Amino acid sequence: METILRSEEMAEIMLLPIRHHSPACSYQIEKVIENWKPSAILVEGPDNANTLRGVMVHEETKAPFAIYYSCYDREGKLSEEKGHYKCYYPFLEYSPELTALREAEKRGIEAAFIDLPYGDILAASEKGKGLLREAEKNNYNDDYLLSRNAYIKKLCQKTGLRNFDEFWEKYFELNGFYEDSDTWFFHLLTYCRLARENTPPEALLEEGCLEREAHMAGRIVQWAEKGTEDKKERSRLLVITGGFHTPGIFERLSGEEWGKTKLLFEKQEGVISARDQSVYLMPYSMEAADALNGYASGMPYAGFYQRVWEGSRDVEEAFQKATLDMLVAVGKETRKKDGNLSTYDEICAWQMARGLSELRGKPQPGAFELLDAVLASYVKGEYNAASDLPLRVLQKLMAGRGMGRLCSMADIPPIIHDFEMQCKSLGLKAHSTVEAETTLSIFSSKKHRKTSMFFHRMVFLGTAFAKRVKGPNLQQRRDKNLVREIWRYKWNVQVSSALIDVSVHGATVEEAAASRVLEQLNEDMGAGDAAVLLTQVFEMGLTDQLDTVYDRANELIVREEDFYSIVDALKSLMMIEELDGLYRSGLKVWELVLTGIRKLIALLPSMIAVKEENLPDCMDAVKLLYQITGREGRDVDKEQEMYYEALDRMRKDRNIHAGLCGCIHGILYGSGRETAKEAERACLGYLTGTREQLLQTAFFFRGLFYTAKDLLFIGSGFLEMLDRFLGQVDEGEFMELLPQLRLAFAYFTPAETDKIAARAAGLHGKKREDITERREILPDWYAYGKELDMFARKHMENTERLEDGGRGYG
Amino acid sequence: MGIDMQERIKPPVEERYQEELEVLRNTDHGCRPENWQMSPKAVRTFILGSQRPIEYQGREYQIEKKYFGNDALIERCIVTLAGNRGLMLVGEPGTAKTMLSELLSAAISGVSTNTIQGTAGTTEDMIKYSWNYALLLAKGPGREALVPAPLYVGMEKGILTRFEEITRTPAEIQDSLISVLSDKVLNVPELGDEGFLFARPGFNIIGTANTRDKGVNEMSSALKRRFNFETVTPVREVSMEKQIILNEVNRLARESKIPMEADEDVAGLLASTYHELREGISAYGHRIDKPAGVMSTAEAVSVCYQTILTGYYYGDGRMDVDCLVQNLVGAVSKENKEDLEKVKGYFHTVVKDRSSKEGGLWKQYYEARKWLK
Repeated sequence: METILRSEEMAEIMLLPIRHHSPACSYQIEKVIENWKPSAILVEGPDNANTLRGVMVHEETKAPFAIYYSCYDREGKLSEEKGHYKCYYPFLEYSPELTALREAEKRGIEAAFIDLPYGDILAASEKGKGLLREAEKNNYNDDYLLSRNAYIKKLCQKTGLRNFDEFWEKYFELNGFYEDSDTWFFHLLTYCRLARENTPPEALLEEGCLEREAHMAGRIVQWAEKGTEDKKERSRLLVITGGFHTPGIFERLSGEEWGKTKLLFEKQEGVISARDQSVYLMPYSMEAADALNGYASGMPYAGFYQRVWEGSRDVEEAFQKATLDMLVAVGKETRKKDGNLSTYDEICAWQMARGLSELRGKPQPGAFELLDAVLASYVKGEYNAASDLPLRVLQKLMAGRGMGRLCSMADIPPIIHDFEMQCKSLGLKAHSTVEAETTLSIFSSKKHRKTSMFFHRMVFLGTAFAKRVKGPNLQQRRDKNLVREIWRYKWNVQVSSALIDVSVHGATVEEAAASRVLEQLNEDMGAGDAAVLLTQVFEMGLTDQLDTVYDRANELIVREEDFYSIVDALKSLMMIEELDGLYRSGLKVWELVLTGIRKLIALLPSMIAVKEENLPDCMDAVKLLYQITGREGRDVDKEQEMYYEALDRMRKDRNIHAGLCGCIHGILYGSGRETAKEAERACLGYLTGTREQLLQTAFFFRGLFYTAKDLLFIGSGFLEMLDRFLGQVDEGEFMELLPQLRLAFAYFTPAETDKIAARAAGLHGKKREDITERREILPDWYAYGKELDMFARKHMENTERLEDGGRGYG
Repeated sequence: MGIDMQERIKPPVEERYQEELEVLRNTDHGCRPENWQMSPKAVRTFILGSQRPIEYQGREYQIEKKYFGNDALIERCIVTLAGNRGLMLVGEPGTAKTMLSELLSAAISGVSTNTIQGTAGTTEDMIKYSWNYALLLAKGPGREALVPAPLYVGMEKGILTRFEEITRTPAEIQDSLISVLSDKVLNVPELGDEGFLFARPGFNIIGTANTRDKGVNEMSSALKRRFNFETVTPVREVSMEKQIILNEVNRLARESKIPMEADEDVAGLLASTYHELREGISAYGHRIDKPAGVMSTAEAVSVCYQTILTGYYYGDGRMDVDCLVQNLVGAVSKENKEDLEKVKGYFHTVVKDRSSKEGGLWKQYYEARKWLK
């Protein structure tokens, strides 16, 4: 063991390479600690998390949990945007780092994290690289370094293994519980060296690897020298780092490099100040850990390896047993859901797993044999989405279930304190896992409004704490008339995790919500989105942010070129305006509305040749503008004039869509700027036009009835035209136009349709009863009719036969 | 006198790879299931090729890789055949199911011809046994008068029986396999007490079925339970598909004594075309309408081979891109006319784009679009 890597300076140092989340690594580390008896253990991990070690190794704490690092770039040192950053360092029950820390605790020896603080790792990375890569959740684990090289690709090809994970399992996991530590670590280190040699040096720089390694080496030097000062005998330092970094750190500790490393470390200064960085422990779920490991950044199948770890005392059969357990569990679960799996299938699957391991030269079946066995023996018929149930079940089981737990002394971030305080002051059960329901009269009770604001903030932060089941929905502009909100809420561990997750944004729920709002404002959004955000801010009662969002919405409306996005924004704004009496925001929403309508009126003429699918939205916009510009008590004369001018211009344009044309005539008629006769003339234009234009009449009616359906009841002009139109189209055309006609008549109430039908009947000399009521047919009549029918048929058949016969003889 | 191997259009696998099989059999020290000609590891090597040459009788032999795409699938197939269940290969037409079943049979049992060809007219006696009626009348029912069919042969000799296109045979005929697969015994009532044929070790069944034929005669679930299913999918990598086209076409050319080899670039062109039309997306990300017909690698091989034949007999001994496109038209317009329109669409978008970006052969390919009528 000592021969692996050892720097003889000052202290005895042993560098051990590991792969995160590897049970075999964990097992081997336990053995090394037992035999080598180090005096201190140094572990890879940002050193600002050192305060958390006590909680991590506490016996009440149960993995999986994660260290949550957050950093606020207050001074814009990372980028101009001065953003918030966060990342996770998940630990599973069998993570080698955790095992090392636990062993240290058990033996009463010192332990420490030695990597750069999170913020400084960020500063050392280039944009889009390393921990600054664009990902929803960044993982501190950098095991991808071990698998992301051309060398491993070739190696897998040569060894006939499908990927790095299978390679790793075959050569490092399956034998990891019984191979002697010297050989095992020697093989691992050899692999790590090769992986490093095959990684381009610029990648090491871009991802901050070199700076991190320099820092880690510096810390090791510091510990080593401290050891010689303190004690008489040489101290033994066990250093546990990701395998990829081990050779890099070793280089910095060998020979003359030692001095340089020391000097460099002493000169090093943090880029991001400690007050802008925080670190907490959060309970984590196996699923989340598995998903985070997904992108080659750690070992997959957390649930499977958990079982392996649990059985690792049985060194030679741990994998075999875990495989068998899983096969049986998948069988049971599949049977429950599908019912079509026998014990014999399980036997076959087990034979398959063992046969494959033998064929592939593996000492025991592992994760990949398990997958293959289920695919071969449990999936009946062609493998497709309909038959892959067993594999889906397996994947779930392999990912694992369950959630970690932190001990009571775990430090919690201020945001959770705030959450608890708020719950207390609002009379909510902060830690009840039973769902509770509460009804809030948001406009009559101040406390209820406050509670509602709190719930809305929690929803906005994505914490899954509360759910509104009833109440006004301002984002979708639904149920605006409701004055009460009904909420259901429930606490669970995920709520805490989610709160810790957003703790980077602020110390209180309100602060975090406000900060998220500002962050969203910087994202790419349209005027419609901005107005929706305004409604959310409104609901959350974030009064300080209202003005900022207001300004941004104003700016977006002015800049917006998308007609429909402005319509959306206007609708939301009008709603806020209407509800302002209740919510009392004190915003000058009307000014925003004015900006919106001016912009909309300016864009209106460009909508002349609207596409059919956009017609309803466009007509909606025309009507909305009519309503806004026609509001009494508001100074909108100028806008109204602009609006009608635009309509007038559009009406005269020959290229106008017939539906929009009808809609505009309806508005002009409704506002008294046009007589019914003028509208009739426009309609007649289509009706008497060429065939194509004639067919457009259906659209015209649709538009017209949308804005002025009463025209049909005034005089008989439109009714006659409609009648004439229907008379002119043939059956095929009628079927084609039917959807439009249906839409046109959808604006009438049933009573109105009835009235129209009666008048239409009148045009053809019929009465209402003639078309709505049918005469009864007596059974005798029916029988007589049938008899008559038969007689006629028989007669006709006879005639036919005679004719045929006649021809034959003729 | 034996028939000269060269005189047959397609010699069976065990003859074509006689040398490789012999080398593997004689150098194999692995554990063999009873009656297997070689160990599972050697079977794997035979199908997936050897990493390094194998030394035998002072010479080095490189075992060629014969199946591309999914190594784990081959391993599962081998383990299945060593076990108690039959192996059913399902998948789209032209995904080399039959070839795989032949390779497995040749390696494991040394013979790939013990085969039932499933059709709508397949009857039970074509599977199990029938009688030589002259002998039956003369001597009465006895082993002598019995004419064994592939299933009988497989059980009697302890070798694999291949059942091609199993879903084309009527369901009741398929079901005659059920008891044989579970009890491993076949009863011939006419032979009385001696009528029980117990399968010897080494016997198993490899079935193949097209997923496009699913509706013809769906397998009963009782039968399905007695098989391990393996779904064979088309090759996912263009480079691999190109390699398959090259290997197969050159082999066909050799067997037909045509002194011509497939042009690598043309094969690459064809592989790209087939791959992209099948996947519905091009290497540059264009979205493509997928033809309804089968766009299998086997089809691509036949288009390529036809082009070679035309070049050899009518042309100047080179592969002509115009001719390639003409053969492509013939291959895709089998099922319906719309497919041809889709190929035209492919030429007008993807090929056009690539011809301007990459030039060279793609340009010629685009110019040959005039043949897409």
